[in-house]
Amino acid sequence: MKSWGEALGRSAGAQFSRVGRLRRALLLLAAAACTAAALLYWRQQADSAHRPLHSLYANVAPQWSWICRNDRCERFLATETPVLQSLPTCNMLCASTQLWPQPTGPVSLATAAAHVSAHGFSLQVVASPSREIKDHLADAFNLMVEDLKALERNAGLDGRRSSSGTPRDVVVRVNVNGTADPRMRQDTDETYKLTLRPVAHTLVVDLAARSFVGARHGFETLSQLVWLDPYAASLLILEAATVEDGPRFRYRGLLLDTARNFFPVSDILRTIDAMGACKLNTFHWHVSDSQSFPLRLNSAPQLAQHGAYGPGAVYTTDDVRTVVRRARLRGIRVLIEVDAPAHVGRAWTWGPVAGLGHLAHCVEVEPWSTYCGEPPCGQLNPRNPNVYAILERVYAEIIQLTGVDDIFHLGGDEVSERCWAQHFNDTDPMELWFDFTKRAMRALERANGGKLPELTLLWSSRLTHTPYLERLDKKHFGVQIWGSSRWPESRAVLDAGYRSILSHVDAWYLDCGFGSWRDSSDGHCGPYRSWQQIYEHRPWIEEMPGLTAGVEPWRIDGGAACQWTEQLGSGGLDARVWPRTAALAERLWSDRSEGATADVYLRLDTQRTRLLAKGIHAAPLWPRWCSHNPHACL
Amino acid sequence: MEFGRRWALVVLGLSCSVSCHDTTAPPAPIVYEPSWTYKCVPDEGCHRSAHPQPGANSSSLIFPSLDLCRTVCGRFGGLWPRPVTAALSTQTVRIHPNFLRFDLSNAPVETRDILVEMTHVATQNLIDECDGNVSVVVETPVVVYITVKTTNLNLTLDTLEQYRLDVQSKESNAVIHIVAETVYGARHALETFTQLVSSDKLDDGEYRCGLRLVAGAKIWDQPVYKYRGFLLDTSRNFIPMDDIKRMLDAMATVKMNVFHWHATDSHSFPLESKRVPQFTRYGAYSAYEIYSAEEIRELIHYARVRGIRVVIEIDSPAHAGNGWQWGQEFGYGDLAVCVNARQWRGLCIQPPCGQLNPANPTMYRVLRDLYKDIAEYLPKPALFHMGGDEVFLGCWNSSEQILTYMESRNYDTSVDGFIKLWSEFHEKALNMWDEELTALGQEEKQPVMLWSSELTQAHRIQKHLSKDRYIIEVWEPINSPLLVQLIRLGYKVVSVPKDIWYLDHGFWGQTKYSNWRRMYAHTLPRDPHMLGGEVAAWSEYVDSQGLDTRVWPRTAAVAERLWADPNSGAIAAESRLQRLRARLGSRGIRADVLSPQWCAQHDQHCV
Repeated sequence: MKSWGEALGRSAGAQFSRVGRLRRALLLLAAAACTAAALLYWRQQADSAHRPLHSLYANVAPQWSWICRNDRCERFLATETPVLQSLPTCNMLCASTQLWPQPTGPVSLATAAAHVSAHGFSLQVVASPSREIKDHLADAFNLMVEDLKALERNAGLDGRRSSSGTPRDVVVRVNVNGTADPRMRQDTDETYKLTLRPVAHTLVVDLAARSFVGARHGFETLSQLVWLDPYAASLLILEAATVEDGPRFRYRGLLLDTARNFFPVSDILRTIDAMGACKLNTFHWHVSDSQSFPLRLNSAPQLAQHGAYGPGAVYTTDDVRTVVRRARLRGIRVLIEVDAPAHVGRAWTWGPVAGLGHLAHCVEVEPWSTYCGEPPCGQLNPRNPNVYAILERVYAEIIQLTGVDDIFHLGGDEVSERCWAQHFNDTDPMELWFDFTKRAMRALERANGGKLPELTLLWSSRLTHTPYLERLDKKHFGVQIWGSSRWPESRAVLDAGYRSILSHVDAWYLDCGFGSWRDSSDGHCGPYRSWQQIYEHRPWIEEMPGLTAGVEPWRIDGGAACQWTEQLGSGGLDARVWPRTAALAERLWSDRSEGATADVYLRLDTQRTRLLAKGIHAAPLWPRWCSHNPHACL
Repeated sequence: MEFGRRWALVVLGLSCSVSCHDTTAPPAPIVYEPSWTYKCVPDEGCHRSAHPQPGANSSSLIFPSLDLCRTVCGRFGGLWPRPVTAALSTQTVRIHPNFLRFDLSNAPVETRDILVEMTHVATQNLIDECDGNVSVVVETPVVVYITVKTTNLNLTLDTLEQYRLDVQSKESNAVIHIVAETVYGARHALETFTQLVSSDKLDDGEYRCGLRLVAGAKIWDQPVYKYRGFLLDTSRNFIPMDDIKRMLDAMATVKMNVFHWHATDSHSFPLESKRVPQFTRYGAYSAYEIYSAEEIRELIHYARVRGIRVVIEIDSPAHAGNGWQWGQEFGYGDLAVCVNARQWRGLCIQPPCGQLNPANPTMYRVLRDLYKDIAEYLPKPALFHMGGDEVFLGCWNSSEQILTYMESRNYDTSVDGFIKLWSEFHEKALNMWDEELTALGQEEKQPVMLWSSELTQAHRIQKHLSKDRYIIEVWEPINSPLLVQLIRLGYKVVSVPKDIWYLDHGFWGQTKYSNWRRMYAHTLPRDPHMLGGEVAAWSEYVDSQGLDTRVWPRTAAVAERLWADPNSGAIAAESRLQRLRARLGSRGIRADVLSPQWCAQHDQHCV
């Protein structure tokens, strides 16, 4: 009833043998027979060959067994193979690393597995620069162990003795030699080195990093060497491994808009967990917009009082601290954006009653299409000093709540010149905007203890075009480029040498492809950005200017996927964001030159399974049959 | 109101902290009223009211909750799908499920068992409005008198689904009269009744929830189209039974009446056959991903209580592979050919391939056994879907055995020859199905559904498929003439235009997503042969994880199109659909949002 088209066909030509190049040392030692021999938990089918069918059916679950042949896992009826091997186990022991994102340094992995259990993992902090780092390591380690326990629970292993013998203990020895600050900072070195080897009956993991965040990434990689074997009903781990790893880009983000629709804190925490699993490091929290202002700040409670959708649709400061705490342990900074001067609304309407004058103009005016991009309209009043006083308090509280003081997001997109022109016909609205940005910067500086953050981000907009762009100080301002990678102005920002975060609408907008939410038209962007498209977007390669004299190299700090939520509520969040954002995570962490090849499908499919085990409702990549027969669908 | 006082206190405290920090802050603390009340604005809908005057006369058009506002605001209140005629009061009365009674004395004895189950569903739906706990108790007796005129419990294309619903209430009691021809009409009335009830709960963290019923209503209602279907594919990805039941709950909420269960495909065969256990043994993804015979029967009953007929589809002769690949092993030869072929292009539409082997007589024996099981599962009179789409002649052409068989039948190896082979398959399959139904005591021959295909082309169909026996499900895009051609030729048709009503479009290839407005805007011809339409949830890119949001509320848009076929468009429908979305949520279905919540709180302001 449909044509398959190029849905899966885009990588049809990819050769699976490429995978082999990625794995070093031990990796390819195992041929299929070798793999089989290494397994600790096979069990023979007693009389598999010629039993009558009904007894097969009555007593034995229909089961498939996977055998690694020619670096591929192939599915057989359990009765056809001497060894019963589950798909995850075959995948882990066959040709691919199954790590996500793919490490950037040398990797060697054993092809033998050992039986472990979650409570057998223990932490030894060998060296750490501070008490704080040590505590963070302990907490992050516990989170990892909790994840492993959840994995065991998924198999119903709780309290049941597994038949696979005594699980081996895993001792994780961590050595952090570097910054005493556990936060994800601009200059945080995220690299780590992990080795895993058997010592007598124990498995010893040595993890070396230069920061807490690096060590935490190491935990994440370690947890990806562990999997649940549904047939053995136990956790398995690769017996030995060496991984050296570090990210290609230092800013790897996901934006979630909690203003168009409200998302409960539990959704945000789940999102943070999924981000951590993919080694993303920036949760860009687009907390407010013209539609709502759910952030209840102590310094300006009126904003949520007037702006929230309802008394239950607010984030308290405790909520924010909970998110920040979880994010910290996952190696993630929480970058809260209170968009301004446009994208504000009813939250700012209490000024006159409070004797502060009009804080905003055009709030909910009609016809909206004259004064803003989508209803309802609203724009701050750039001439009212109270606006800056409030912003200063808001900024100060955000910095205090998140602990992020080296990077800040001012918003700054889609200002309607017409709205301001109505109220200030004596001044060019662009000058008002520029002036607003300058004054907001001063408010930020005061809010941050008299010091500007190292990087202050603005959305790309008319203000980041010539001739206004040049007036923004390169030392302080960076631009989050949301325009299409094909727009000349998107490129111009890079060419002009501004630090940039890429969120190209043509690749990394997760909200595209759902049509308009106001009529039956195609909406502002489309089609849907598939994970393959997200993965294969590498604008820095395609268009990087040559090293010609006089041309500054592009300064791309990284990128972020944007999940705007005009058409997304809590129920659909996970499946909309995942696994597509995982694809972005590997692009920004590993930046492998390959596109969505067979190996990427396989590893991403495995990563999706990991996300499911963590309670994240990630969408499937394809029919289950293709997971069972991965190479047949490519 | 205690509510107002608490907020005033909070704000007093907070605004102090503001003034402590900032000298430009106002000299006096400001008291804010909660700004979350809702006003019914005639001809527009419900709006969050910006600044309700404290102490002002609480007009009947101001409501503490959006759901409650929508339930009474507008000509059709919060009803979805829209009834034919409705007169609703804007007043509400408090009710409590503990004091709700259903009187079945005007329903024939034969109908009472199922009616009791139907009333249980309705009561549970009311309780769910308050998330399972109606904490505000009032003792007003509420009695629902149900009159059913016929004893016929069959659910068919001719089942009369109309109903009349009357609500009258006084201070001391509420009386509801339901009159319907059949139990299924009565069920629809019960559904409408629950949609006249709303909770008044506030989203303020304090649990306090009461139910309010529209104080007076007169509704007369019947569907425009007989067949209002939802297709769920459980083969590409397995969908657990609980998810399927949730889909049926949502279907019942919007009065859809056919669950088209695309149970099998070439990818997997999760449907248990007692007679041929090999199907699941060789075809299921795992032991945990099988629909057992018992579960299937339970589902069919579950559906019936919700006014839904289950149509099982066993797609054939194409779209059959895994589950059929054991013939050789058992000495029966190939039951299917091209199964899981490595080089799939040219042999099928998508991997894995597989097509039944019409040259193998054992294949028909196995198919007959499967039909026996299906015939026993399905409610009578049975409506069965034989698939029949996307046969790849190249696949059959690749089998020596099939070519030899064709020679023996004097079919040449041209397209026409293969078409004859294909047509022969359907003829044999239909005969077997008829025989199996007869064996179960079904006197009359029952229609069978088939997808449109090469075989159903206007110039070809009459040679191969009888219009008295087949209902053709046309999945061609809306610009295709086939639907109208088939109607003219006298075929009964069900329409599933793939470019509008396929829910998987927009997630792969060049396909385009249809939002609910586009799905709602599409209309079907009015013709006695136009039985209705269907929304299709193919499951290549969806499984249990994202199912609800993929399917709802978009499917509800089509449900109203098929039930009411209103002349008005999406703009007029939106506020009711917003109410429906909230209702689905309270019933456990996580429907996607339609818009930013601001728009949901300000009807008509986002157009």
